[in-house]
Amino acid sequence: MDNSASTVLALRDVTMQFGGVVAVDNLSLEVRRGEIVALIGPNGAGKTTVFNVVTGVYAPTNGQVSFGNQVIAKNSPQGKMQKLYAGQNKGVYKGSVQPTPDQITKKGIARTFQNIRLFKNMTVFENVLIAKHMNMKAGFFAAVFRLNAKEEKNMRAESLALLDMLGLADLKDEIANNLPYGKQRRLEIARALATKPELLLLDEPAAGMNPQETEALTDFIHQIKNDFNLTILMIEHHMNLVMDISDRIYVIDFGELIATGTPEEVQNNPAVIAAYLGVDE
Amino acid sequence: MLRSMTKKSTTLLNLTAVVVLVTLLYLLEINKNSFGMAVSILQKSVILSIVAVSMNLLNGFTGLFSLGQAGFMAIGAYITAIFSISSDTIDSVYYTSGLAPWLMSFKLGLDVFPSAIRILFGLLLGGVVAGLFAALIGIPVLRLKSDYLAIATLGFSEIIRAILSSPQMDQITNGSYGLKNIPGFAIESDFLPVGTGSLLVPFAIAALCITFMVMLIKSSYGRAFMAIREDGVAAEAMGINLLKHKELSFIVSSFMTAIAGGLLAMFMRSIDARTFQISMTYDILLIVVIGGLGSITGSILSAFLVTASKEWWLRFFDQPLITGGITIPLFRTGFRMVVFSVLLMVVVLFFRRGLMGNREFSWSALLSWPKRMPKAKKGANKRG
Repeated sequence: MDNSASTVLALRDVTMQFGGVVAVDNLSLEVRRGEIVALIGPNGAGKTTVFNVVTGVYAPTNGQVSFGNQVIAKNSPQGKMQKLYAGQNKGVYKGSVQPTPDQITKKGIARTFQNIRLFKNMTVFENVLIAKHMNMKAGFFAAVFRLNAKEEKNMRAESLALLDMLGLADLKDEIANNLPYGKQRRLEIARALATKPELLLLDEPAAGMNPQETEALTDFIHQIKNDFNLTILMIEHHMNLVMDISDRIYVIDFGELIATGTPEEVQNNPAVIAAYLGVDE
Repeated sequence: MLRSMTKKSTTLLNLTAVVVLVTLLYLLEINKNSFGMAVSILQKSVILSIVAVSMNLLNGFTGLFSLGQAGFMAIGAYITAIFSISSDTIDSVYYTSGLAPWLMSFKLGLDVFPSAIRILFGLLLGGVVAGLFAALIGIPVLRLKSDYLAIATLGFSEIIRAILSSPQMDQITNGSYGLKNIPGFAIESDFLPVGTGSLLVPFAIAALCITFMVMLIKSSYGRAFMAIREDGVAAEAMGINLLKHKELSFIVSSFMTAIAGGLLAMFMRSIDARTFQISMTYDILLIVVIGGLGSITGSILSAFLVTASKEWWLRFFDQPLITGGITIPLFRTGFRMVVFSVLLMVVVLFFRRGLMGNREFSWSALLSWPKRMPKAKKGANKRG
């Protein structure tokens, strides 16, 4: 199998510029089928911005994102940005593809958020069930007049089965906001999985977790990766988790890629050490 | 207590409530002459309950703070009025400029149908036109967030009012003169007692509209609406097309609001553009907030309570009160609204999330009521 066939996600020269601030600078990265890839970097390095570009929250200022063989986002500086643009490769990517986040999710990319974003006043079950809405075949009136009873039943059954697999079945009628923190994180991942993604983006899944919880999360990520046949790209600060779980790591600082490789390679990379610890000048 | 009610007994209670309600309404409407006040309060309440529920669908369930209700009601009211005023009296209504010839010939064409069909046609057409307007203005306006959306829809509502009363519309809306001779709800028939239908007709239409919205809320689309209310960013990440679903909610809400506007025209018998001022939207917002954002039964209950206390129960505050030869001060015209405002503040202080919060009425909750805090009020038996 050649390399390009197994590539799930590829960013080519992606630059994201807000006004005069370059948040992501000419970043290229690649995630292959079945990999767990970590994106790390100091605070404010632009990691979440990368996620927002991939999921359609932002259209990149320049560059191209492809998912499988499909170009899912493409842009070159437009309008005012033509003058302001401070990045490279201007004018290389012709045409503009700017999908909305819901279109990206339908293509098979699901995500979680750095600050948990559950549907707080709805039950655990409803949180997962909502993810089934996008694939519903019934039209508006069919759904209102319950002409899709069978489909609705399937949606519910699938959601229950998913909760069962992820060990949340006994909490299904709890209001999401009342769950303990760790369970909320887990529910957010469950909700993302309910969209049946091929690629899962986890934004700091271990944020705010203690070492035991982090360890449980490591197992959990392994479990879902195998059970759901996933490819995972994650942002994380817990180095233990990152080194333990990742096949490859990308390190960015000030929006620029400064290192890439296996966990061992990255750990010993002087540029990475400098970015994290600072250097004497 | 929660599990102790079987499905069967709930159905039985619901059926009994409906039968009791229908009988009561029938008895009231055929004795309209002796219960005039009660009948007209019930008519107005049930009409406002449709608007309140449709505003709740937008504000409480989809999280869109819209204040365009009066405008959509005006659209429904005018269209229903134009099609329900009998062709024989139309010239006396449009006594200054006459009805536009194309509209007149359309109306005469419709005269082959019985008046009930014409009224129904007017109501539905009003709903559809309001829905179209909602769809059109929704595209730019629904991208706005909370307060901005409220202001934009408020502006829309005022524009509609201005257009309806403008001299250029004289031949259609009769401009600033308004429309009169609108037929009421009562069914005219030799076989039925006088007054039949004056309550059952608006209640039946309201039941249909509200049932539709309840079914919508409980469907997958309803869950999507609530997801948007909870967190738009997350909803979008779950594959929910924000604009499409906001539009859907806005269109359904506007459709129902226009139907209620049409019913209001029939209730008032004569309308003009001033009927649909911003204060009307505020009245409805008040009902929704008092009932509880996110509670359908709350909105219905509150529509009845607010209307009845505003226009009936507090009336005696407006009359001079003399006890033992002493005239008690304050009791004069307008004092009613002061008391009403104080009551409002009390409700808002003690039921911050409205009478029902975001809960719905249930029999089991009502039956266990004496044991708990008075959270559910009696008289809430309007649909389970």
